[in-house]
Amino acid sequence: MTTAAHEAGGPVVRVERLTKQYEPTVVALDRVSFQIAPGEFVAVLGPSGAGKTTLFRCVTGLIRADHGSVIVHGRDVCRARGRELRAARREVALIFQQFNLVRRSSALQNVLAGRLARVPTWRVLLRRFPGPDRQRAFACLDAVGLLDRAHARADQLSGGQQQRVAIARALAQEASVILADEPVASLDPDSAAGVLETLRAVARSGVAVVASLHQVHLATAYADRVIALRAGRVVEDTPAAGLDTHALEAIYARTGAGGRR
Amino acid sequence: MRASVPGAPREYPDLATPWRSLRGVRFVAIVVVVAGFYSVCWHLAQVDPGKLVSGLPKMLSWAAKSWPPATDDLPILLLRAAETVAMAALGTTIAALLAVPLCVLAAKNVAPGTWLYYPTRWFLNALRGIDSFVFALLFVAAVGLGPFAGVLGIALHTWGSTAKLWAEAIESLPPGPLEAAAATGASRVKVLSMALLPDAAPTMVSVALFWWEFNVRASTVLGVVGAGGIGQELKNSMDLLDFPRLFTVIAIILAMVTLIDHGSQRLRRALL
Repeated sequence: MTTAAHEAGGPVVRVERLTKQYEPTVVALDRVSFQIAPGEFVAVLGPSGAGKTTLFRCVTGLIRADHGSVIVHGRDVCRARGRELRAARREVALIFQQFNLVRRSSALQNVLAGRLARVPTWRVLLRRFPGPDRQRAFACLDAVGLLDRAHARADQLSGGQQQRVAIARALAQEASVILADEPVASLDPDSAAGVLETLRAVARSGVAVVASLHQVHLATAYADRVIALRAGRVVEDTPAAGLDTHALEAIYARTGAGGRR
Repeated sequence: MRASVPGAPREYPDLATPWRSLRGVRFVAIVVVVAGFYSVCWHLAQVDPGKLVSGLPKMLSWAAKSWPPATDDLPILLLRAAETVAMAALGTTIAALLAVPLCVLAAKNVAPGTWLYYPTRWFLNALRGIDSFVFALLFVAAVGLGPFAGVLGIALHTWGSTAKLWAEAIESLPPGPLEAAAATGASRVKVLSMALLPDAAPTMVSVALFWWEFNVRASTVLGVVGAGGIGQELKNSMDLLDFPRLFTVIAIILAMVTLIDHGSQRLRRALL
């Protein structure tokens, strides 16, 4: 898959037969395959332990899959190393369930971290980010409604605000894919709605967005497509509109959901 | 009414009971072992309270002779005290700079690999294991008498201690922010600078300040081996049995240490 194909409307991420085992007996991902097109908002549903977090960590190369491949812009994340891996990661932004902000840094500094791969090392060491990068960071904070908190320390923000800073960091990365691991799991309903609105707006701007969710009604309300995982397997991959209660039962059925997140 | 445990009351076998008969024996055994340990220590240390009793009047007469303290050498003594503070400051700073790369190699969560982690830990432990006093002794032989030998001695020992404590501070940090920065495609140096340093810096500065304080106290002794500073005057005065001057030296050391402790504590509070 090349950039040309990407421009022609091909998938931006191609996951093929991705398999990950933690112990001989614990299968976290079992031959998972799907593709995501630019501008798509895909929700990944599944009970705890279905393999959602493992899937996201494999797609960013934070953990290595045992088999299969993840092709992003023609690069196989599962096989890339060093410089190649960093180049591949630049195209995939990950929003963590626990936000993972640097607690003592300001919201702005945390968002600027999204620019790291595009800024020379000496500028990072001296905290001299170029003007355009700082402008981009401000714009991302504005997009999540936190411009007025730019200089507040991350540990002084509420949970919802921290999650939005984490989203702004992902936006600042200018990746072609944004993965969000349970982005609303720890938020109140209003904040959750705000975060999902933002993610959908990001998708509409041409970025592929994949978010794992627990609540089925949020998936049907916001996502274009739903992929359901159970015990590491894709059990459903349908447009969000076509999701019915029968399918939901299959997703949340308690049998065999023995994976690890 | 009080809550009660449901079910018929019955006798439970008490797990401690079978051991009760042995408890007295165990207690006596512990007492014998502890007493034996201290009696061996007593002999090895050649403790002789009689000598203390006979030596005490001598010390008291010195104390009486030391008043009034000598003030004619005050300028030179203050210069020596400044030398001590400078030695400690330079030694600690050099140590901290050298510790920056090594603390990364010695912290398991950020080390590039175990092949460097273990050798680094061994090296730091060796530096820590040898006191700055011992290093200073060696450096006096190598670079000659004077504070420079003291600076080198302090630097080497503090290098090991600081890097180890920094590595432990780094290891206690949550992995999330580091992972998040790495996931953006940033190189290791950028990740450490942006995601590790802000959270680790307060502890690191606090550790460095602690070692500076510690080294000011430690370097009063370095003069005894000829490595400069106020300790040299301490030894000179003692050798000449010049007690008024000794009094002044000790008073200066006390004032200096108190001032440094205070200053560094305030600095630490401001930084945290």
